[in-house]
Amino acid sequence: MTKEPDKNTNTAIPPKPVIGMPRPGSFSAGRDNLADKTIEPVWPSENKKADLAAAMAAVSSKDSYEAALGSEWQTDERTRQLREQVKYAEASRVALMNMLEDMEDLRRRAEEEKEKTLAIITNFADGLILFDANDRFMLANSLIEAAFGVTREEIRSLIGKKIVDFQMINGFRPLTDLIGPVITEVSRKELYISENEIYEISSLEVQSGRGKVGTLIIAHDISREKIVERMKTEFVSIAAHQLRTPISAIKWTLRMILDGDLGPITEDQRDFLDKTYKSNERMINLINDLLNVTRIEEGRHLYNLTQVSLEELIETLVGNYGQILEQKKLTIDYAKPAAKLTQVKIDVEKMKLVVSNLIENAIKYTPAGGKISVTIAQKRDVLETAVKDSGMGIMKDQQSRIFTKYFRGANAIKMETEGTGLGLFITRTLSRPTAARYGLRRKRGRARLSSSRCRWRPNNDCRAPVFMLAAFFG
Amino acid sequence: MAEKKILLIEDEELIIRLLGRKLVSIGYDVTLAMDGEEGLKKMKENKPDLILLDIIMPRKGGFDVMEEMKRDPQLTGIPVIIISNSGQPLELDKAKRLGAVDWLVKTEFDPKEVVEKIKKYID
Repeated sequence: MTKEPDKNTNTAIPPKPVIGMPRPGSFSAGRDNLADKTIEPVWPSENKKADLAAAMAAVSSKDSYEAALGSEWQTDERTRQLREQVKYAEASRVALMNMLEDMEDLRRRAEEEKEKTLAIITNFADGLILFDANDRFMLANSLIEAAFGVTREEIRSLIGKKIVDFQMINGFRPLTDLIGPVITEVSRKELYISENEIYEISSLEVQSGRGKVGTLIIAHDISREKIVERMKTEFVSIAAHQLRTPISAIKWTLRMILDGDLGPITEDQRDFLDKTYKSNERMINLINDLLNVTRIEEGRHLYNLTQVSLEELIETLVGNYGQILEQKKLTIDYAKPAAKLTQVKIDVEKMKLVVSNLIENAIKYTPAGGKISVTIAQKRDVLETAVKDSGMGIMKDQQSRIFTKYFRGANAIKMETEGTGLGLFITRTLSRPTAARYGLRRKRGRARLSSSRCRWRPNNDCRAPVFMLAAFFG
Repeated sequence: MAEKKILLIEDEELIIRLLGRKLVSIGYDVTLAMDGEEGLKKMKENKPDLILLDIIMPRKGGFDVMEEMKRDPQLTGIPVIIISNSGQPLELDKAKRLGAVDWLVKTEFDPKEVVEKIKKYID
């Protein structure tokens, strides 16, 4: 019996296309065109069939006849295999074409993204310098040329080099002096190219899902703001000079006479001079307040933030009032917290002004024998400094006006005729820039407690303390 | 020990007289200058241990004096205390950049306190 060839024994199994196989409905117009271009399989021709019949006719014996039959079967099988191979080859070709198209598409998209990024960098309002993940210079936009007075050729010569090599170009020296020989984190550092060209330099690590992909140095032009600021500063400076010069001369003269530096004086003379000295001090305070208001009304404040312990700052501040408290027969109680509080970034001078205004108000409007207490407490992300006194308080019907410039409460005027009405205005204005709220809590009658709240952000930046005046005590 | 030399550059006559008198009474060797130009000339002639410098002055102001001092290797390193009637943050920053060690607003300090500051830097 003739052994029939095992149909499963396929010696030429076509490779299975794994990726890039045609996906129903996923072809683009281009892919459809490609799919249409199928290769026609080669079928056995009519001539070949005739040849086969002739061969069969030539066979005389039975065995030969069977052999001829087997040969025919083998030919059919081979034809089937070839058809299969052609089919798979076609599928693979289409898949390969799709893969190439996918790659081309990705390349085009990457190119477009690159162009977009370049357009953003080129047209960005700030000067930008881009370094790769290994801190090697890649590109800079045209604003950098203008900012540092360097040419495009000079910038090109730095491609692939590190920040330390920027020193070779004269114009970049101020930048390398500021950043250093390696790129470190820089945040809004002022860079003076010249008296009228000032930039704010920051470095920023560019991150992707794979981690650091580069570093960006940003040069933000702050020349205009600085020039305006300088002009206003010059104006206030001249005003301060004109106002303070005569009174500082009076102060120094009186102080030296009172200290005995200019010869002995009688007790009667001392008494008069002492009073004159105090009047002069009031004049100094008035001028200081007016200058502070002028600066506030410039609409801009320079915040010089430093990380400090607020409780220590308040302790120092409270200690400054020892002499006046003694003179006024007042006691002040400051309970420094036992546990250390979170250190916050604040503008020390402004915070001093805010809190000292609260303390000075308490001293001024509390009669002899009264008590003042200063507390500081941390409640989650809020530090609250509170000043409480046993003084006259603020009348309910006047509480809404106490923050306005030059306003003084009727009872305050009766008790202390002198005063500018600027203290709480300054305190509130310095506290207000980002303060979400401030105000009075009207519970009963007069407000006697004022407090300064300092809410900090994740980097402990407490630029603008929130000021509150609360009427907790009737 | 030789007397420490202090150069006081100030245009306000009363301040010069008062502070000069106070410093001499303590034992400092005090040189006076009424403006920036005179101050620069005197500091080159007689290198002081410390300079008390006003900012707003005729002919040459305090900032100009400090800029010239910064350019002259012989004058850099002399501690400069600013005594001024102004004292805004921008001015303080500028003075710091130019190398001043301290800034005293005249209305906030008296001669005795100025002496304490001087001692901090040269004694």
